[in-house]
Amino acid sequence: MTALLHSLALPLTPAETDRLRRHAAAVLLGNWTGAATVPSRTLYPHQWSWDSAFIAIGLRHLSVRRAQRELETLLGAQWGDGRLPHIVFNPAVPRDAYFPSTDFWRSSTAGAAAGAPARTETSGIVQPPVHALAAWLVHQADPAASERRGFLRRAYPRLAAWHDYLTGSRDLGGAGLTANVHPWEPGMDNSPCWDGPLARVEPAPPDSFRRADLVHGDPADRPTDLDYGRYVKLAADYRDRGYADTGHAFAVEDPAANALLIASEYALAEIAAAAGADPAPHWHRADRLTSALVDRLWDAEGGIFRCRDLISGELIDERSVSGLLPLIVPGLPGRVVEGLLATLSGDHFRLGELPLVASYDLKGRSFDPARYWRGPAWFNTAWLIERGLRLHGAEDRADALRAAVLAWAGRSGFAEYVDPFTGKARGTRDFSWTAALALDLAAETSR
Amino acid sequence: MLKTAAQEQLLPGETLQQRWEFAQAAGYDGIELRAKGDFHFRGRLPELKQALADGVVMPTVCVEMLHFFGAFDDELRRDAIEQLKSQLSVIAEIGGLGAQTPASYGMFSRRLPPFEPPRGEAEDREVLLAGLTELGEHAKREGVTLYLEPLNRYEDHMVNRLDQAADLIRTVGLDSVKIGIDSYHMNIEEADPAAAILAQAPWIGHAQVSDSNRFQPGAGHLDWQAWIGALKAAGYDGWLAAECRLTGDPADAVRSVPAFLRRMGA
Repeated sequence: MTALLHSLALPLTPAETDRLRRHAAAVLLGNWTGAATVPSRTLYPHQWSWDSAFIAIGLRHLSVRRAQRELETLLGAQWGDGRLPHIVFNPAVPRDAYFPSTDFWRSSTAGAAAGAPARTETSGIVQPPVHALAAWLVHQADPAASERRGFLRRAYPRLAAWHDYLTGSRDLGGAGLTANVHPWEPGMDNSPCWDGPLARVEPAPPDSFRRADLVHGDPADRPTDLDYGRYVKLAADYRDRGYADTGHAFAVEDPAANALLIASEYALAEIAAAAGADPAPHWHRADRLTSALVDRLWDAEGGIFRCRDLISGELIDERSVSGLLPLIVPGLPGRVVEGLLATLSGDHFRLGELPLVASYDLKGRSFDPARYWRGPAWFNTAWLIERGLRLHGAEDRADALRAAVLAWAGRSGFAEYVDPFTGKARGTRDFSWTAALALDLAAETSR
Repeated sequence: MLKTAAQEQLLPGETLQQRWEFAQAAGYDGIELRAKGDFHFRGRLPELKQALADGVVMPTVCVEMLHFFGAFDDELRRDAIEQLKSQLSVIAEIGGLGAQTPASYGMFSRRLPPFEPPRGEAEDREVLLAGLTELGEHAKREGVTLYLEPLNRYEDHMVNRLDQAADLIRTVGLDSVKIGIDSYHMNIEEADPAAAILAQAPWIGHAQVSDSNRFQPGAGHLDWQAWIGALKAAGYDGWLAAECRLTGDPADAVRSVPAFLRRMGA
């Protein structure tokens, strides 16, 4: 088994890497819509928030101008309260191409009090804040072009307002961390971490909505109908409260969302300095967030960060890749880093034996190698862990993970996610962030 | 890496050898020739052969005439075809790859008065297919390629976009006919130039470069990184030939192009 896995993840030859680069570029050019990139031409025909951040990180190697534009388009849909919506709808796409669509979210009317844009329709929930990190990486790809277009000077106030929202209205636990109020917000929609908190939610009746994701996706790879009913109920209730951040039936502190906030806060400090603003408040906030992350979510015994259910007040007894992503945080205590590194290669995730990192505990009771965030390996989490390994000096392991990302991304046709044991492609193909992050790692490889 | 060429008239020097010396120093890999009518290009054969013997790299030739194979006038059209056949033979004789031509240039624009051309679309198509077939068969015999260049709507009324050229080439069915793309015209005509390159990738045989304002690459506002990235994503491994006007000091301007294109990913 191990030999087979390693043959599947054999490093690409230079010719294969060149082909990968060309194919990845073709995916990104093909999914470009003029102002932003769709995650997938079929399954996700609008702009998604954290997708765009990951896409920009790859796009900077293909067109710095498009990478800047990708982020600017998203920032242009920011709400008055600072939130960046998880979807910005393309008005040219038919309403029934995606559910929930504009007639469900009704952002321009239901979100008016929260400052939703009047002329751009968006969703009302958020996704993890990868954006400042992406903006900084895009800037670094061509600082002269960035300076010429005033990219950072224009992006900075919006990114700062975004982080203010996440650490202000969204500090629902009162301990300094940002909270998520819908399972779609941490980006790992059907993670088993949410099974408990979701069980309290009365699902919307099945005949009250029509899923569009099953038209283009295999039902076995997608969330179940019951889960979907609960997602719909939570979102509808949020909308009906005018997207006010009070009275949430679902509220969790997610380690990945907070780790990405910290990494982005560090990037925001760099951006502030480059844009002529004071970086110090961002350094301080990154420090405070890091302490809170460790205090609130670190499970020393388990060697992993846990999600916290803010309704029950308890840590959630599940191991998800989300709990490993704080590896990207600079300045973690040494014992935490050691714990995370041990857990990565331990029984629950087996990185090293397996080429990529499963999205959920391989020994977990809800593990499913095919279903979305309940087991498959994803490429954005691999990209983040690769970065974290390098940050903490685990260069060899980072190199191996990088090689595996390139091999499995290319050989899967830039799948949305893959079976963590076999590399079999799951979800949609020609998925933008898979192509973008492979392009980024391929560029790093050739540097 | 893509190879870069400059059209001969852009390069300082009296002879091809002098121009080649400048071109090499600037980082170019070759010179694109220009072919006037009246069999002038054939008359240059001794000069071209000597340049070849002296190591000048001359992969392609671009037609420099005022009538083309899509002309309304039968005699002019006939002459254009004969000229182009001769030019294809000459470029073959000096070991080049092919010759680039538009369907017409400055003959008619549907966007300018009187708006309606004297010849209908069906007849245009018939004329173009006949011309491309005759020229393509000649190119095939000579072992070179005819590159059909879409021009913007103000310069030609028949072939403006890559998909129109590809449609004609598919119908002709000869491997010896390909599209010669030009970044300046694409910027006007294609909704997304990079996407157009990918969509018509199998038909693209040659590429000419100039910026949004017809000046040298880097002097305008084209997204060169995306344009070149698309060519590379499409598997294109041919030439980028500068066919442009120059702004600023002419020698500095032409010298700046190879490094600029490299920085943009060429």
